[in-house]
Amino acid sequence: MGEYSERKIKVIKHIDELFTFIDIFEHKNISFHHHLRNGDYVLNYVLKKYIKENVQGINLFPSSIFPSYLGILDLIKNNQINDITTNYINGPVAQYISKNGLPGILKMQTHGGRARSIIEGKSKIDIAFIAAPYVNHDGDCVGYLGKNKCGSLGYAIADSIHAKIKVLVTDNLVDVAILHPEISGSNIDYILLVDSIGDSQGIVSGTTQVTNNPVGVKIAKNTSTLLKELGVIKNGFSFQSGAGGISLRVTKDVKDIMIKENIKASFFSGGITKYHVEMLEEGLVEKLYDVQCFDLEAIESLSRNKNHIPISASRYANPNDKSQIIKDLDIVILGATEIDYDFNVNVTTDSHQTLVGGSGGHSDTATESKICVIVSPLIQGRIPVIKERVTTITTLGKNIDCLVTERGIVINPLRKDLVKILKESKLKILTIQELSEIAHNFTNIPKDIVNRDKIIGEVEDRTFEIIDYIYQK
Amino acid sequence: MSRSYLFIPGNTPSMIQNLDVFESDAVIIDFEDSVTSYDKDAARILIKNFLKKYSYKDIDLYIRINSAESDYFLNDVKDTLDLDIIGYVLPKASVKAINALNKLSSKKIIPIIESPLALLHVKEIANEDNVTALLLGAEDYTKELGIKRSLEGKEIFYARSIIAITANAYNIDSIDTPYTNKEDMEGLLVDSENALNLGFTSKSSIHPNQVDIINTVFAPSLDEITEARRIIKKSEETNKGAFSLDGKMIDMPIIEKAKKVLEKAKKYNL
Amino acid sequence: MKTSAGSLESSDCLITISDSSQLEIVIESVVFAQFGEQIKEVIVNTLNEHNITNVLVQCFDKGALDYTIKSRLETALNRRGEHHE
Repeated sequence: MGEYSERKIKVIKHIDELFTFIDIFEHKNISFHHHLRNGDYVLNYVLKKYIKENVQGINLFPSSIFPSYLGILDLIKNNQINDITTNYINGPVAQYISKNGLPGILKMQTHGGRARSIIEGKSKIDIAFIAAPYVNHDGDCVGYLGKNKCGSLGYAIADSIHAKIKVLVTDNLVDVAILHPEISGSNIDYILLVDSIGDSQGIVSGTTQVTNNPVGVKIAKNTSTLLKELGVIKNGFSFQSGAGGISLRVTKDVKDIMIKENIKASFFSGGITKYHVEMLEEGLVEKLYDVQCFDLEAIESLSRNKNHIPISASRYANPNDKSQIIKDLDIVILGATEIDYDFNVNVTTDSHQTLVGGSGGHSDTATESKICVIVSPLIQGRIPVIKERVTTITTLGKNIDCLVTERGIVINPLRKDLVKILKESKLKILTIQELSEIAHNFTNIPKDIVNRDKIIGEVEDRTFEIIDYIYQK
Repeated sequence: MSRSYLFIPGNTPSMIQNLDVFESDAVIIDFEDSVTSYDKDAARILIKNFLKKYSYKDIDLYIRINSAESDYFLNDVKDTLDLDIIGYVLPKASVKAINALNKLSSKKIIPIIESPLALLHVKEIANEDNVTALLLGAEDYTKELGIKRSLEGKEIFYARSIIAITANAYNIDSIDTPYTNKEDMEGLLVDSENALNLGFTSKSSIHPNQVDIINTVFAPSLDEITEARRIIKKSEETNKGAFSLDGKMIDMPIIEKAKKVLEKAKKYNL
Repeated sequence: MKTSAGSLESSDCLITISDSSQLEIVIESVVFAQFGEQIKEVIVNTLNEHNITNVLVQCFDKGALDYTIKSRLETALNRRGEHHE
């Protein structure tokens, strides 16, 4: 922790050298974090070695899979992969697995569930390859400094403690003490030096702006009005929104209400953007609990705002973590590709049965928060968001409280308390079947095209319960 | 009684099928500037099929047809006569053009006052059959006059004033010109209040994101509604033609105005 | 001769009609699996309404609703009529 350390961590200059100390064939369960998002070089660099050595039966534990992680596709096509366990999957790898499956299974977890699984020994990781933007010789590390800084390293923490072998992969090895490391060198076995851990442009790619699309603006307005009527925007409240354009617009609308009524929030959690940072710096919220940074402003805020706090995935959303932040979460705003009559929500596959995402923190926050609101257009490209049964259950209906679309709002009948508060509301509140009929009045009823012949994966909730299966297209 | 009139391009299905989503009191489906010359036929057929299938009880629907001098005018009217719309918004309006339209249709007409000549004839225009409101088209008006537009709106002060006054005198609605900067919400608020303070009853808009602010500006405020309720209540209690409330003299015109305020409040769910 | 109407914007479709010795309908749609049959039905019904038989109809659909498909088809048919004069 900044003191002179007796234990010297081996600094290695090439991955070939690493595997002179470790038997690559005995260590097939390997993990990566996704904090460098689509600009990550580390995963592909490491997998290239595994491909070269023709290691068989690999079990991958990447916290998410982005379009640029093509090394995974190569491994799959070479038949070197067994299982993949992840929280989010999108792009060519996702498309390929949707059509062809894996030799093993695709296990989709939640952010909190992944941490829990690693900590409790259910996911046994042999080597954790941790892309680390800023590392010293003690192996202490932070994510918000360095030429390829990425901000909070929340999804790497459990791996950095519980994997058998921990390797920090860095392009920025320094000789200074790090006062408050996110990853402690006492856990680290090797430091692997590379030219570059990622492309800084790609690190902040795919992040969204507040939407200006009229339908999205209307949905956001309905949502902030709903929150206001439910009386949940009040001093000390806590809030989280996804990083989608509509969710960010809701955040903006909530901000306007907070300014008007002089309300200060206790915390915002989850993925942090410049909009959240602005609100911290304008004194509208006490603390930001950051499990991942979505843009450069969020990354830079970490180094200057002491109330912008990086947290591990476990502290964020592990149900068995005593300091779990989201157990105090009042409101969460989330998206959906589909929602069904039982309020089950899908963010894992789209209506063509292609893998496009995964829970991430969706099921975690829906479960823990006091109010969970799904925001979505009612119809997108002729496909209604409401279905009789979702293609894949990512989050169980009992955890979903409200659905807000541009044509109406639905309150889950299980929430009799909310239904009661909204009795005199001027908002257009309908049953889910009524709203579905309105959609069908425009689109007609789509043909059910979901193929359930072959299981290629499973959706494992944070409770470790398998709540749905994933089928081949 | 509408506060807002939202223009929706008449050949864009994604906007047409969402026309009721934006909470505008009235929608003007546009066959004119937003539809290219080679797709005028496509717009007519699209709107015909759309309105035959979907009906909107809570929105006043109009169609801005092409001007009476254009090649499209006749077909625009003929092909839409049997549709469930309140009426037509007539660009480049003149007494002659309105007469031509009235020969073909008995639906309501909202003439657009968008030239100095039309402005000079605004009284006659307001007096024509079926005219239900006057719409100021400041873009074309200022272009013809050869002047630049400003947020403050000094250059269109007279045009605004005379339209608002005329409409009021002839007991019809006045619709202010659209605010063309789609991103500038603060400017929209100022512009709308400028129109309100000259006596306009409503404002048109070219983008759905503008509707909320316009609806708020042109709706009676909470104070006005409360005051109106008190006036009506007292008038029902006293049974006199005129009475005193809070030291002020309340007579018939004020009672009528209060009734209108409550009517609006009820209609807009305030 | 060939006429067309519509566009490839979201919620619209581009319909092209050309002469043919028999009725042929070709549909390419972003929602073909879910609505392919429905789209075909709308096209067939509209052609029947107008007593049209020997044409090749090509529909490039971007999630258009029924009324839009019908409209674009009718517009393309109309445009054929104009040219024949």
